[in-house]
Amino acid sequence: MALFSIKNVNFKNIVKYKDFEIKENKATFIKGKSGAGKSTLLKLLNAALTADSGKILYNNKALESYDTITLRREVMLVSQNVFLFDETIEDNFKEFYNYREQPLPSYDKIKEYLEICLALFSSSVNCRELSGGERQRVFLAISLSLNPKVLMLDEPTSALDEKTSGELMGNIKNHCKENNITLIVITHDSLLAEKYADEIISLDSEDDDE
Amino acid sequence: MNDLIVLNIWQFSAVYLLLILVLLVMKRCKISQSKLLVIGSIRMTVQLVLAGFVLTYIFENPHPLFVIGYISAMMAMSIHTVLSRNKGINNRFKLIIAVSLVGTGVTITLFFILGVVGVSFFNPQYTIPISGMIMGNAMTGVSLGLKTFTENIKVEQSKISTLINMGATPKRILIPFVNKAIETALLPTLNSMLGMGIISLPGMMTGQILAGTLPITAILYQIAIMVAITTVTCLAVFCSLYFGYRTLYNSQNQITVE
Repeated sequence: MALFSIKNVNFKNIVKYKDFEIKENKATFIKGKSGAGKSTLLKLLNAALTADSGKILYNNKALESYDTITLRREVMLVSQNVFLFDETIEDNFKEFYNYREQPLPSYDKIKEYLEICLALFSSSVNCRELSGGERQRVFLAISLSLNPKVLMLDEPTSALDEKTSGELMGNIKNHCKENNITLIVITHDSLLAEKYADEIISLDSEDDDE
Repeated sequence: MNDLIVLNIWQFSAVYLLLILVLLVMKRCKISQSKLLVIGSIRMTVQLVLAGFVLTYIFENPHPLFVIGYISAMMAMSIHTVLSRNKGINNRFKLIIAVSLVGTGVTITLFFILGVVGVSFFNPQYTIPISGMIMGNAMTGVSLGLKTFTENIKVEQSKISTLINMGATPKRILIPFVNKAIETALLPTLNSMLGMGIISLPGMMTGQILAGTLPITAILYQIAIMVAITTVTCLAVFCSLYFGYRTLYNSQNQITVE
């Protein structure tokens, strides 16, 4: 069943998307050249941006009819620019849960999510001192723990080596499958896409395909 | 009480020589603001001379309309100054700032003139200088608070968009920025209270003492005006930002900073 339907969507006359659908409970990978509007697409799907024309349906209802806060909690976007507070990993969980006005999960639960995301670093380390790839995984663990229905990842493995990328993607895909989470991933890594995608959507028009 | 020595115009001109020292330091440290110094000095002189003439006229021919006119001009100028120092603010935000400055400025001035001093609001000798001090400080406070607020928001773009993506409400995201900016705007006033009477004899008090007022009376006025200034700064910044921050997001809960 189609979770998202994109029809004639146009954003500020910069990007015009072809029509396509994203299926529920599948792993959809999105590829396209730089400037094809990949990141913009994800921001349109969680209503962080609004399309200038066209329709986006979510569960067969127009995106505008949803309360955007509820929508963003359900359709969570993990963007490429990772933001973490300059605090320990556990305190980062606290900060984000506090902003969401939600009770913090148990310590064991937190550990579980960090493990899935290969982010089991020392609990005393300040996130400021972590590398780019490490910060990305910590942030991913926090996002995953918030238990969205749709998880949208923008270049989740850009700062990781090939082996870690594969392992991380495998863990996330398993977790999403077990918990009926729809996964939408933007990646440049076509090997990764071929290995883990149920569907691959290219935003490039046919005539300028690589 | 001694009478005040009226400044002789030639003796008075000597004070401008001091500005040469400022110019020398600016040259030495390659501060390219000498034009601003010259323009600033000239504008200050012209504006104050004009104010002197206008005030002399108003004091000799007191009329409620003059008081209202003078205060309105001060308000307009303070709004203009705040807005010209803080570009890129949306129109609704600008309106909220203007209303906050006028609303809090008028309220505190009224309270001070009618409640504390106990003279008519249309007595120009009290109302004009007092409301000038009150509006001037409100203006500085709002300007500083607004600058802190907008700059912090620009710097923390990635935090803001991350929290938006996480489904935090704009209110929850922006209120800490409001609180921080109010604190920053209040600090100079609070700190100046600490040094009062020891490090500095403040302007109004000095003026009154020079004019022959008993120091104890001058002190009472100074304390009263400091409390009024602190209050007006706090209220003006609070109203500007607390109502203003709501103009930064739309019904889709998208935060837009121009």
